[in-house]
Amino acid sequence: MTRTVLSVTDLVAGYEPGVPIVRGASLTVREGEIVVVLGPNGAGKSSFIKAIAGLVPIFSGTVMLDDEEITKVPAHQLVRRGLAFVPQTENIFPLMSVEDNLKVAGGMLDRRDMTGRIEEMYGLFPDLRDKRRIAAGNLSGGQRQMVAVARALMVRPKLLVLDEPSAGLSPKFVSMVFHMLADIRKAGVTILLVEQNAKAALAIGDRACVLVEGRNAHEGRADALWDDPVVAELYLGRRHAAGPSASDKPMPEAQP
Amino acid sequence: MNPQFLIDGLLTGSMIGLGAIGVTLTYSILRFSNFAHGDLMAWGTYATLLIVGAITALFGKVAPFSPLSFGWPLMLALALAMVVTGGLALLLDRILFSRLRAKGQMIIVVMASFGASMALRNMLEFLFTSRPAYFSRAIQIAMPVGFGLRITPDQIALLILTAVLVTLVHLIMTRSRIGREMRAVSQNPALARVAGIDVARVVRFTWLIGGALACVAGVMIGVLVQIRPLMGFDMLLPIFAAAILGGIGSVPGAVLGGLIIGLSEAAAVQIVGAEWRAAVAFLILMAVLFIRPIGLFGVKER
Amino acid sequence: MELLSYAAFFLTTALVFALITLGLNLQWGLTGLFNVGVAGFVAVGAYVSAILTTPDDAARIGGFALPLPLGWLAAMLAAGLVAAIVGVATLRLKSDYLAITTFGVAVVVQLVALNAQGLTGGPFGIGFIPRPFATLAETPLIFNLANLAVVALVTLLVYLALEHLAKSPWGRVLKALREDERAAISLGKSARFYRVQAFALGGAVMGLAGAVQAHFIGFIAPENYLPTLTFQVWTMLIVGGSGSNRGAVLGSILVWAIWVGSGTFVAAFVPTDQQARAAALQIVAIGVMLCLILLLRPSGLLRARVPREG
Repeated sequence: MTRTVLSVTDLVAGYEPGVPIVRGASLTVREGEIVVVLGPNGAGKSSFIKAIAGLVPIFSGTVMLDDEEITKVPAHQLVRRGLAFVPQTENIFPLMSVEDNLKVAGGMLDRRDMTGRIEEMYGLFPDLRDKRRIAAGNLSGGQRQMVAVARALMVRPKLLVLDEPSAGLSPKFVSMVFHMLADIRKAGVTILLVEQNAKAALAIGDRACVLVEGRNAHEGRADALWDDPVVAELYLGRRHAAGPSASDKPMPEAQP
Repeated sequence: MNPQFLIDGLLTGSMIGLGAIGVTLTYSILRFSNFAHGDLMAWGTYATLLIVGAITALFGKVAPFSPLSFGWPLMLALALAMVVTGGLALLLDRILFSRLRAKGQMIIVVMASFGASMALRNMLEFLFTSRPAYFSRAIQIAMPVGFGLRITPDQIALLILTAVLVTLVHLIMTRSRIGREMRAVSQNPALARVAGIDVARVVRFTWLIGGALACVAGVMIGVLVQIRPLMGFDMLLPIFAAAILGGIGSVPGAVLGGLIIGLSEAAAVQIVGAEWRAAVAFLILMAVLFIRPIGLFGVKER
Repeated sequence: MELLSYAAFFLTTALVFALITLGLNLQWGLTGLFNVGVAGFVAVGAYVSAILTTPDDAARIGGFALPLPLGWLAAMLAAGLVAAIVGVATLRLKSDYLAITTFGVAVVVQLVALNAQGLTGGPFGIGFIPRPFATLAETPLIFNLANLAVVALVTLLVYLALEHLAKSPWGRVLKALREDERAAISLGKSARFYRVQAFALGGAVMGLAGAVQAHFIGFIAPENYLPTLTFQVWTMLIVGGSGSNRGAVLGSILVWAIWVGSGTFVAAFVPTDQQARAAALQIVAIGVMLCLILLLRPSGLLRARVPREG
């Protein structure tokens, strides 16, 4: 059995006391996995992972990162604990150069480590090396997403959490982003993401859970969820009548 | 027109610019216009005056560095008072601004800063009365430096000090970790937290820098003009105008804005008379707001 | 008898402050516009009316000896116009720009009052401003009561008009704009127009207050319109509870009572050479009070209802 990186139990969270948006959701992420959170609009997916990342107040339940409880840890200290979060929008510092975006995230690294880590990031995202001096706000949508992810990876997180990384990108960039995530997982980073684009997400994901009205409605292996007719029709926007066909089927990924 | 206005303008511009750096930083990082900033200048100056007095009491009269009007006591006092003023700014934030900021109504914070400004200024008037005070009564001879310009040794020293401080702040903002973190917080506070930046630490540092520079600007006025409880409040309009002209959030912009306003004021003094000096900043402010509200180096807010 | 006369005088001054505070409440309480230059708008009203109604004076322009109501009307128009220009310049920008600009307006008005001798009389100000009941001045009680009656009537009229406006569709739009930023954005340009209107109208009320005060004292000078005045009016509004016209009036009377009371105390018990310092301490105390109310009771001291954050 692989190590559990993140375990969330009965999480209740929301912006205003007494008005929970997340109403008792649970989740486990094991080392090396890509886990996808799906669900209809307004299901509380985004609030769920923002609560995990310390950005939405948690009313009850627990969040454990590697056997350490992080339920009450403020957002800016989570990075140090090994949890890095990539927001859906406004996830770069637009007026700072690409390199300063990376440096500011690596504040806690010492100077030599920082230089080495930035080089590693340019290795992972070669496009960024040429743009290192350019203000991040002037990059294309896909390149900005790279900056956002590279920024999160600077401190070698145990767990990378992403809120809809494909939102607002053109189809070309969507596939690029998902390839990028698959590569990052290969480099040994565990990933948790929320997605609207169920098809693409399930294609790279190992496991998934479907959130409805702030609670877990379904969960299981990514390919099994994709083939589940009820889930597919209700939440994934996929006609049951069409049935699972070869072209629809996500690429099978080996379970770690 | 007498070219001497260049020197006067440069000096006034330095004072305004140093003040404007503090205002522009508090605005871009804490998101409010601090009306108490001018009074921090005055408090810093009186703190310096007190410390100089204490040093003189301890060590007796110290001869000034010839040809300057002041010696090491003023320099040491200035360094200490910069820390004191930064501390005062931190204290104000702790007991007043941060609590109101937590409620999320930024304009209430502006109002509180106006109330704090009144209280701070009148506290000085209570403690020191409104009679002007001076660091030194010595009269300096202005040296000719060519082109019909004259400048005193004190003025040269203070211009150099300004240049050093401005360069230092610029380097901190662009090269250091805390500077990057300050820029990050000003561009996107929520993302800054996600990126592991301790926003509270950045806020503390911002107040320290702002307070320390306010103190220097005040002492410049004290050395070159005189020390009064109102000295900072009277600078508030040119300081705000300089920060807006330079583009809110930009340190080089604040300095350039300060110099432009300082030079315009000095020119106006020659053309229309000293009594209309204060109107210059207002005219420039209105022009900027109508023509280019983001200022020279400003960036459109998200 | 003397006490009654003094009470009438006190209340007259307090009601002039109430008028200014009502203007500020329209700008801030109803519309959320932050004016740090209240003193400037009051001064514009006072000077305009004084210049138009005083008898001819060789030392300065003006002295048109126009009838008093005309002076008051012109005061409102002038202060309202200044406010409208400021509004047009700044209301498309962030609220801080309005604050800074109004602060600048007060500085410049002060400067003009001090230096444009040919118009404003310079540091000596303008005297011989016609007082509506000057003939009664020999019996102070009746004179003060008559002044009080006029000021009270003006305050009442303005109060009723503002109450009516706040409940009208126009006032409801303003409130909606203030409480729902999205509504304001979706209204775009017309939202700004509403705000400019409110700001100009508030400025006009302040101008009227300045004129009224000038005419019952009979003399104005630049030092009447220092930032301390702005600060007093803000404290009055915050104490009374911003958003409520009744609160604005009651807050003005209460704060003015505290001000006069502590001033009398200082005059009676502090040695003459220390009085300027004691007066400074008085302002410190009021400044601290303003900050404490903002911190602890943002809905105002006099307001029992659930706070609607300012």
